[in-house]
Amino acid sequence: MTKLEEIGASFRSVDTDLRLQLLLDYANKLPAVPERLRAAEQDHRVHECMTPLFLWIEPAEEDRLRLYIDVAEEAPTIRGIAGVLVRALDNAPKRDFEALPDDLIATLGLQQVLRMNRAVGVAALVGRIRRAAA
Amino acid sequence: MANDYAQPDVLVSTGWLDEHRGDTANIRIVESDEDVLLYDTGHIPEAVKIDWVNDLNDTVVRDYIGPEQFAALCSRHGIGDDTTVVFYGDKNNWWACYALWVFKLYGHKDCRILDGGRAKWMAENRPMTTDVPTYPEANYTARPQDSSIRAFRDEVLEHIRNKQPLVDVRSPEEFSGERTHMVDYPQEAVLRGGHIPGAKSVPWAKACNEDATFKSRADLEALYQTEQGLSPNDDVVAYCRIGERSSHTWFVLTYLLGFDRVRNYDGSWTEWGNAVGLPIEKGA
Repeated sequence: MTKLEEIGASFRSVDTDLRLQLLLDYANKLPAVPERLRAAEQDHRVHECMTPLFLWIEPAEEDRLRLYIDVAEEAPTIRGIAGVLVRALDNAPKRDFEALPDDLIATLGLQQVLRMNRAVGVAALVGRIRRAAA
Repeated sequence: MANDYAQPDVLVSTGWLDEHRGDTANIRIVESDEDVLLYDTGHIPEAVKIDWVNDLNDTVVRDYIGPEQFAALCSRHGIGDDTTVVFYGDKNNWWACYALWVFKLYGHKDCRILDGGRAKWMAENRPMTTDVPTYPEANYTARPQDSSIRAFRDEVLEHIRNKQPLVDVRSPEEFSGERTHMVDYPQEAVLRGGHIPGAKSVPWAKACNEDATFKSRADLEALYQTEQGLSPNDDVVAYCRIGERSSHTWFVLTYLLGFDRVRNYDGSWTEWGNAVGLPIEKGA
């Protein structure tokens, strides 16, 4: 079981209200992006997301990758999704990046509560992470 | 608050609300945002959250919740028939106006908007909390929908045959047909781009100032009446993509400018631009 599958199972084991609370916890715990990365932020924007979102992937030891995501605090939902992705993938083996599911929102059991436009943004984010890691 | 809007009491200022927010026996503050989690990151201490997807929309049929469900929602939040409900939210009160429109659809009497919304309240460093308040259950009377503020597709078709005015409140690119969705909001697929024939283009946010408050009556009259030639006695239909941005314009025309008959076509472009055989106009 990958870390993402574990997180998904923990979301799906609770009711909808608690899933949103969990998502908010992940939003609050999204680590800050290192200062050195912010300089060229615009080159790292994921344009399909309705909220400005910036993404960096860097190689680490033993075929592992670092993942950093920056999202405004006024956008807690997408920030929560970013928090889940960073927790699941930062410093994870490359194969975990490649195994990222298309339907991340369903993995987290959030398809009933998030608007359709989120699904488009999240799918774009997932696609971007997989391509950047490949 | 001194203003010269047609119905001045429909707006409350941040100062007024801060002073009266403790009167929870008579006033219920409702936060409605685009982002379902924004309320949970901090809100006006007495405010409850009403989410447009999870609370106001039916989960199966493309429609709003029914009268009984609406009454249950109000009762649960301690909203009675005579409660003053003050709505506020993010993005120039866009979703707050949408929630207000649904409350009016079910005939709630006293609905108001916090002028400037969440942005102004926060900019003034007024109190916020993450604690969620609860109120004693109220006994809300379920009423049928008020069809005078809602337009359906066939009525819109009739409306354009009679050469009555429509306001398209989407972005200029959506109006011309260049795009089928807002910039940065790639979503709700539409097969055809353009606008309903004869519609006037007035993007909804033109009604707001930089600080998210509504523009003055004189500025709003210039925007809708002088520039677009609309008149307060016109029968007007407003639409956007799914009926949320147009509820903001519906609010402005109805309450701030005192138009007699304004309807929100909530089917909007996602219905019109996907329907077979309906007339469409392209270009600016």
